[in-house]
Amino acid sequence: MRKFATKIWVLIIAYLMLTIAFMYIFADFLYEKFYVEDTKSEMIEIGENLQSKYSGGKVTDEYVELVESFNYYSNYDVFAVRNPRELSACVPFEIDYKTLIGPDERRVLLNGENITKIGYEERFKREVVSVILPLVDQNRLEGIIYIYYPLAKITELARTEVAIFIGGGVLFSFLIAILVYQSLKRIMRPLNDLHRAVEQMTEGDYSARVEVASKDEIGLLSEAFNHMAESIQREDEKQKAFLATVSHELRTPISYIKGYSEAIQSQLVEGKEQTEALELIHREAIRMERLTNELLQLVRKEKEEIEMLPIVLSETIRESVKLLEGQGDKKHIHIVQNLDENIIVLGDEKKLKQIFINIIENAIRYSDENAKVTINSYVSDRRAVIEIQDEGIGIPEEDLPHITERFYRVNKARSRSDGGAGLGLSIVKQLVKMHNGTLSIKSAVGEGTQVTITLPIMEEE
Amino acid sequence: MKKWVAFLFLCTIWILHGCNDEEFQQINQHQSFVASVNILEPSVDFFDSDGERIATWKFEKAYTGAALIPYDRLVLYGHQLDEVDIYELSTGKLIQSIETGTGTTNVHYDKKEKLLFVANSESNTVASFNEQGEKQGEIRLKDYPMSMDSHDGKLYVVNYKAPVLSVVDIKSMSLVDEWNIDKSSSGLLIVKETNTLWVGGHGSGSRPNQKVKVLDLDNGQVIQEIQASQMPVGFSKKGDIIYVTNHGSNELFAFDLNGKMLWRKEVGANPFAVAVFKDNVIVAGFDDNQIYILENGEIKRKISTQSGPFQLLVREV
Repeated sequence: MRKFATKIWVLIIAYLMLTIAFMYIFADFLYEKFYVEDTKSEMIEIGENLQSKYSGGKVTDEYVELVESFNYYSNYDVFAVRNPRELSACVPFEIDYKTLIGPDERRVLLNGENITKIGYEERFKREVVSVILPLVDQNRLEGIIYIYYPLAKITELARTEVAIFIGGGVLFSFLIAILVYQSLKRIMRPLNDLHRAVEQMTEGDYSARVEVASKDEIGLLSEAFNHMAESIQREDEKQKAFLATVSHELRTPISYIKGYSEAIQSQLVEGKEQTEALELIHREAIRMERLTNELLQLVRKEKEEIEMLPIVLSETIRESVKLLEGQGDKKHIHIVQNLDENIIVLGDEKKLKQIFINIIENAIRYSDENAKVTINSYVSDRRAVIEIQDEGIGIPEEDLPHITERFYRVNKARSRSDGGAGLGLSIVKQLVKMHNGTLSIKSAVGEGTQVTITLPIMEEE
Repeated sequence: MKKWVAFLFLCTIWILHGCNDEEFQQINQHQSFVASVNILEPSVDFFDSDGERIATWKFEKAYTGAALIPYDRLVLYGHQLDEVDIYELSTGKLIQSIETGTGTTNVHYDKKEKLLFVANSESNTVASFNEQGEKQGEIRLKDYPMSMDSHDGKLYVVNYKAPVLSVVDIKSMSLVDEWNIDKSSSGLLIVKETNTLWVGGHGSGSRPNQKVKVLDLDNGQVIQEIQASQMPVGFSKKGDIIYVTNHGSNELFAFDLNGKMLWRKEVGANPFAVAVFKDNVIVAGFDDNQIYILENGEIKRKISTQSGPFQLLVREV
């Protein structure tokens, strides 16, 4: 068993032992209290009974006999003492002898009070419970009645019970120890599983998962671990896909460039063909440049801090649209703008422009000729809302959640004719996030796509 | 700091003043009395011949015994005390303290030689002091010297924890003789008329002594063993009657000089002391804190004392 579990186990067993020990002492205490008290009061009763038979004057032989005859019927040892030596009568003088009662006890008895004691009695050479009753006449301590009962007898009575108690305690502790061990093992199993899974992950196996068997803290932890593992796995796969995409994206233009440049070099193409080949090389170089720029941008965005300034939103949108007019005109796409002129947002103008350009560019790219692209801006719930609606080909539902991932393209065939490298929306997402904005995309295949961006507006002081 | 010094100074003055000023009720020089020396609450009760209380002296010190010495003085000692204190009765003032060291068990005054003997159980010695409290001599005896009586230049000392009675020459403080007696002997009376020494005792172990041993004053031979009751330890003599208290059986016995019992009477609770005052016999009950005045063998009066009357002192003037 692991260390933590051992600690808990030891702790529980220690507490258990302590509890049993306490119970033992407490039971002992109660036992003594009740049993011994009971014995004492019974002895006092007997003593008082015998005391009542003393009629004063000297303690006679008959009386001593009477008291001693009581031993026949009683569990207790009873005797009467009239020897003044035993009663510490000499006490102002030093006594070379251990008397039955001490001088202090004598004073108590002289007052007519009883004495009860528990403890070792030199005279009987053992532990006893004893009761001493005075026989007093005219302030004279004529004698005493001494009743005692060996404590050993009381403990003897209890001894078998104590054996059962201790035996039971040990057995019980043993059973509990096993039970706790088993329970702990059970409780610790998910933790052990977790530990194993973590090790698996450390070694690079991101498929490691743990079984979630309960809803307690450990269950929650296991669940959280599974989520984390999923995220890591996804991220890992993405990374791999990303690298694959990047290499793929770069390899195609490179092979074009390589092929055509070799053809030119070996003069396989000439004249008009050569010019076309050079144009192709140039176009592919531009494509590569753009790809690398976008990649750089993506990497940089992750770390970049932006400077937020008040910006007239409608102006920025209009400027973005202007930049894309050429592309739109080619496909005879009509761009309609319903813009609220009063919206001022906090943001970085260049980056805002890039957001709009990327989205509008997509809208144009995926729209048919003569289609319409509508741009609305308004204020809702203290945020600026920008909607860009196209009538394009739309995005299939299953692709929607992944549309902002890097290099994700709806067209899995990676047709290079329909646009960029699949980084545009990733960049948009990142930029919107930097502006504390939100991005949502709704789409229906064949009907069009609506991209909605909200940005915080600048509050008027 | 100055305040503290002043305070300590005042305290010192107050303590010294308190010490010097210890003064008890005065006892008229011409007053006869019987006094009970009480040891549970250290005190002395003085009573006149009618049994009326004259005075009570209560002490802070744990005195365990006392003796009267001539010219109006009371000697007080305590087993745990370092010194023996001497008070003047007519003024009620402490007039002298004699350093003795702890362990004083008894004092005895010899009228003829005018010497005070102090027995000590720690050094097992008896020392003699003159009227001025100057030590005259000392002798080491057996274990625990206690009961003492003197006659004709000799001091008789019972060694409580040894079965030996020592006979000491008073002047030279040298041992004259040693006689065998019982262990735990206590109580001593010299009977000049018969030239005998009566010795009582508690008995040893669990067996209470029941006899008074009469020794020949010349050689210590046991002449007679007088049957008493239980633990005869207190002796007093008036004329030709000797009174003995048995503290174990609470009985007073009256004997003639030859040891013949005249009468016996149950009196007091645990009586250690008996004395004769004028025509009355006085018995002190240690356990019941009373002294009993007997006339013609009958109890005439009981008087309460402070706690634990252990000794009786009589002055008749």
